[in-house]
Amino acid sequence: MFREGEAAFAKLTEQLVRREAFGEVLARTTENVMALTKIAFDVGDTVVRSLRLAGRADINRLGRQLARTEDKLEALLQEVEALRAENRVAHQPGEPHATEP
Amino acid sequence: MNPVGQLSRVGTAAIEFANIILTTPDAALGVSPREVVWTHRNTTLYRYHSAERRHAVPVLLVFALINRPSIFDLQPGNSFVEYLIDEGFDVFLVDWGEPDDADADMGLAEFVLDELHWAVRETLRSSGTDELSLLGWCIGGSLAAMYAATLGEAVRNLILLTTPIDTATSRYTAWVARDSFDPSSITAAYPSVPGGVIDFANKLLKPVTNYWSTYRRLWDDVYAGKDRRVAYQAMAKWVADNPSYPGRAFRDWITLMHKENALVRGRIRLRDHRVDLARIDQNLLVVTAGADHIAPREGTTPLLDLVSSADVTHFERPGGHIGLMIGSAAREGLWPNIAEWLARRSSH
Repeated sequence: MFREGEAAFAKLTEQLVRREAFGEVLARTTENVMALTKIAFDVGDTVVRSLRLAGRADINRLGRQLARTEDKLEALLQEVEALRAENRVAHQPGEPHATEP
Repeated sequence: MNPVGQLSRVGTAAIEFANIILTTPDAALGVSPREVVWTHRNTTLYRYHSAERRHAVPVLLVFALINRPSIFDLQPGNSFVEYLIDEGFDVFLVDWGEPDDADADMGLAEFVLDELHWAVRETLRSSGTDELSLLGWCIGGSLAAMYAATLGEAVRNLILLTTPIDTATSRYTAWVARDSFDPSSITAAYPSVPGGVIDFANKLLKPVTNYWSTYRRLWDDVYAGKDRRVAYQAMAKWVADNPSYPGRAFRDWITLMHKENALVRGRIRLRDHRVDLARIDQNLLVVTAGADHIAPREGTTPLLDLVSSADVTHFERPGGHIGLMIGSAAREGLWPNIAEWLARRSSH
């Protein structure tokens, strides 16, 4: 009896979440919650920064700078590897070596 | 059983039930020995060495941007990675890590053309081969398909498990494709969308099953004296481990995959590359699950008619989106099937 009730309720809720109206309510609620969250975050960040402490935006900026540095290091690594591969091909046994003019 | 005995049984079961729930975060996942091959930002490429490598072509595993790739190596005896190693494959795994707000600039182009492409390069270098097998699961499958259709020259075999390709009939599409849902409203508050938000949306598809029946079933088993601790804790810990979704990738996914359904239409452009699924000419294995409500069969199979591969196989298996690859049924059915399919296509 209990299991049957549970299964029926599960089916009912799955039908409910598939309804157009549920999707619309979910979209609007998400937008409202996120707007409130953003306001709360911005106020919190303003308070923290007014105390001359690093706020969320400052830490993110630092994180992005680190990420950019890592991107450059990866690009450098790829260049080095490409040069190493070229070098290996140029110095394969039997291949004539490049000579200085 | 007399009332005193019954009461005592309920008390014992309640303590055991609470203990299983409370100690779930301590469960050890992904414990197979591995080494770090390469890292970039949050992405890490791991290698699992096979003691008896019998197949020349290595396998690179790619999971979704939501949840963690430890599902491939859940626990000893219930690990797809462990199984592939025992079958003689050289196994690599891409872990997207735990992005934070500083990674909000990572979009689908960055994941496919940079992170995945570089992980492929490092896999080839590390294994000393010039081809690999690429296995993607869920969104990881979509990323793998996009990669195979753009920069996939080194991919010999492509395996896609429960992969969203055509989202026209997806339940998510019904929620997020509407004009009133703007993904930017979420990424304005959270530059990288918290994993909990994505997890909530996933669980909302089957609210009673996810928020009630899972625990009720565990209680029933504990009360009946069945040992569910290890299996329950492994899955529960994995399900609850939700990394953030980088903001740009989230907007890309919602807009391109759900609002525009652009992958199946060949309308996704990643920088200079148009993602044309007809360019997939690798040996292709597509696996769908009969009870998958996240990436249902009808959302994956259109791929079979789009690709230009001469060698195409489709496995339809019972089970859910994740469940089809977990447990004894997978160990005795799907895993051997995948390994056999791969083995036939993994020699020099």
